[in-house]
Amino acid sequence: MKDVLRKTIDVAVQKFGAEYAEVRAQKLFKTMLTLKEERVEAAKQGIENGAALRVLVNGAWGFASVGTLNAETLANAVSDACKMAKAASLRLKKPIKLAEAKAVEDKVLMTPRKDPSKISIEDKINTALTMSNTILGYDNRIKSCTIDYLDLTGTTYFMNNEDTYIEQGKLYIWSRLLATAVEASTFTFSREEIGSTAGYEIFDIETPEIVGERVAKRAVKQLKAKPQKGGTFPAVLGPNVVGVFVHEAFGHLAEADLTLSGSVLLDKLGKKIASDVVTFYDDGLVEGAFGSFEYDDEGVPTQKTLLVKNGVVVGLMHNRETAQKFSAKLTGNARAEDFRFEPIIRMRNTFMEPKDYSFEELVEDVKFGYYIKNFRGGQANLDGTFQVGIQEAYEIVNGEVGAPIRNASISGNTLETLLKVDAVGKDFELWPGRCGKGQTAFICDGGPHIRVKEVLVGGSA
Amino acid sequence: MVALKQEEMQRLAEKAVSLAERKGVDEAEAFVYQGLTTSVNIERGQINRSSRIIDRGLGVRAIVNKATGFSYTNVLESEAVIEETVIKALSSAKASKADKDWHGLPTKKAFSSVEGTYDNKIVELNSEDLVNIASTMLDAAEKTDRRVFPIEGEAAASYLCKAVANSNGVEGFDHGTIIECSLATIAKGEGEVTPACFEFNIERKYDMNPEWVGKEAARLAVSALKAKRTETKSIDVIFTQFALQQLLQYTLINAVKADYVQRNQSAFKGKIGEKVASDIVTVYDDGLFNGGLRTWKFDGEGTPQQKTPIIEKGILRNYIYDNYTAKKERKESTGNASRAGYLSTPNVEATNFRIMSGNKSKEDLIDGLKEGLLVYFLQGAHSSNPASGEFSVVATPAWKIENGEIVYATKGAMLAGNIFQVLTNVFGLANNERKIGQLVAPWFLVENVKVVGK
Repeated sequence: MKDVLRKTIDVAVQKFGAEYAEVRAQKLFKTMLTLKEERVEAAKQGIENGAALRVLVNGAWGFASVGTLNAETLANAVSDACKMAKAASLRLKKPIKLAEAKAVEDKVLMTPRKDPSKISIEDKINTALTMSNTILGYDNRIKSCTIDYLDLTGTTYFMNNEDTYIEQGKLYIWSRLLATAVEASTFTFSREEIGSTAGYEIFDIETPEIVGERVAKRAVKQLKAKPQKGGTFPAVLGPNVVGVFVHEAFGHLAEADLTLSGSVLLDKLGKKIASDVVTFYDDGLVEGAFGSFEYDDEGVPTQKTLLVKNGVVVGLMHNRETAQKFSAKLTGNARAEDFRFEPIIRMRNTFMEPKDYSFEELVEDVKFGYYIKNFRGGQANLDGTFQVGIQEAYEIVNGEVGAPIRNASISGNTLETLLKVDAVGKDFELWPGRCGKGQTAFICDGGPHIRVKEVLVGGSA
Repeated sequence: MVALKQEEMQRLAEKAVSLAERKGVDEAEAFVYQGLTTSVNIERGQINRSSRIIDRGLGVRAIVNKATGFSYTNVLESEAVIEETVIKALSSAKASKADKDWHGLPTKKAFSSVEGTYDNKIVELNSEDLVNIASTMLDAAEKTDRRVFPIEGEAAASYLCKAVANSNGVEGFDHGTIIECSLATIAKGEGEVTPACFEFNIERKYDMNPEWVGKEAARLAVSALKAKRTETKSIDVIFTQFALQQLLQYTLINAVKADYVQRNQSAFKGKIGEKVASDIVTVYDDGLFNGGLRTWKFDGEGTPQQKTPIIEKGILRNYIYDNYTAKKERKESTGNASRAGYLSTPNVEATNFRIMSGNKSKEDLIDGLKEGLLVYFLQGAHSSNPASGEFSVVATPAWKIENGEIVYATKGAMLAGNIFQVLTNVFGLANNERKIGQLVAPWFLVENVKVVGK
């Protein structure tokens, strides 16, 4: 493999005079299952080999992707990429430059206790069936459930013209459980995700029974939930909601490419944007977490990156291009979904640091507000407007958690909301998820419970 | 990598099917997909990259004792890998469980004829041509107003083709083209950044107006400046196609899929023949729509695409089916099996979900409103409750309408309600039909939508 990649790089540099050239190759194998109720829709297995070629010629990027590792095809593809770059450079105003990265030669092996590629597809079907049976057996008002399962194993290869060569083992396990419950004309919907880079042993902790029951219970509980009034209220957010808030509302704005595109953080570096109790990290080193990896897709080692310290923005997430623009240190956040995509700045495991409040202390001072426990989707805009959809929430009345409310969402301006965080809990949870930014990345987000003085709650009552 | 030719793709599909048959499957199906996309990208005010992506592969479905296995590969050069793929599909089927509702793969039917789906001119475009389109768009945006900053954009041309074969004698090939250009901009005012504003062209034939796209994306951003908060109250709302698409994708469109209906996940279950929308709402799932983004001769399992009435004058007429969900009810597939290239088994999906236009111009729609909100995009529509249709989303950007005039942009207004209620409250449709993803629709005027402001 190394020789093929070397020859490909040589074509770009010697024949086309590329300033920079890289090849990312992959040999991956996937197993996928979809169960609808107790029916196995299809058991699926797939091979995905391919290579992504990225070059800088005359200061512009050229990119080509091909589903093969054949040396001759790669040489043609990299020539294509160079020609594409030349075409793109025709109207270039400011040539692209990259921050310097240390040359690395390394081989990273995955060491799962239970390697998914060694587990039979029958066993995987049984795990998924147990989830589905647990959900459907929980309550007769549960009318349907969908279980998706994916594992991915294999190796990726990275080489650039700066003497970096990395072979990296890949292992991802992911599952999503969806349940719907129906009573009279009320429909409720509940979802959970499991994700790990450790191994199939994730199912020893997040057993199919435990996760299945969690999903089912929420769907049933929500049947009794009432629509709530819209308006501005104090709220206590659960770790899962804090996670999606940190990721969506803040994290995307701190991806340096989006910061440069005009996100509200652009002129806030080194400035205070949040209350003193707010500290955020994006960490690629959490062992076994869904967003962890050793090297990013530009061959840069991952790290734990401090983004906000006691309310002050101290860092952004970078690739080599943005690190150069900001004269910042590399953070190792360049990720590509697979060989079909160019690496872009993505989050890893993004979270808020816990402090010292107990859950009771967070809730006891709230006269009327909401306990927003679990989210369903979220989205942010460059202007700092965020929205987080909610699948589980409760009223807080006179310091006590009360009746469930349904189908709410919270919204506001990120910066205004961060200043309103007035207490941070001492607990901590990290939740796996998938993030879309034109391509999918596996991530985690999380934090402790927190209290926000006020947030806009969208309700239909 | 040179494109696979029609004969090569068909031969590959047929070979995989006969190989599977020789290995003892009850039924087999092969789907070969190839996509070539060339694009030129704009990032932060300049064209800075170009790419060419070639993705192709083979997906094989094998059925043994009513259990389905699937396997795919993108390694097509090797006979051994093709054979391994067939064997994996077979072993997956054997490991899987029997499905009593499995009643066989589709049988052979004549394919539909389609128009406006292929343009040789698009196939012949090179990256220099796309650079020209992108820079026309960029220049137009920048010339419009100096407060405008184009954050990202693209000009792209794709050639897509697919071949299908199964053990019932279904075999077919179809190809098509798509060309698109898009631009997202923001405007920066005093201490203010607007939300991202977006415009685009997308067509199956070479019919582009990049200058309009650039100007329009810039105009939207500028008009989103000086946004104000709104108050909480129920008012009339105009949804543009962007907002509609976001709102309907996870709710109404799912509600008419037979899969959702059969699995008790649809609020439309048992409602065929009943009134589900206002009288002025007529919807077709039109897989043959001339120039439609999802118009093909056949669907993801080789069933001819067709035009299916979904809602006629407010009355629910049909659900949409793939082969499996249709046979479960002893019905015919409506040609709505969709697949993600070679990577997946088929799923029920809308083709061109066409909401028929009205006869008012969009200006007339605005003109008639005493108080209203014009909503361009929604944030958070994917967090709607897909089963109940309840949504709670942010309208951004959106503009306040008073006495028939757009008066200012709004900031952070939330909309809350139920999509099925929204459908019964539609009281105006414009005549400005356009295609966005699977939706083909005009602007929608809906009364009495709850807007949550400060």
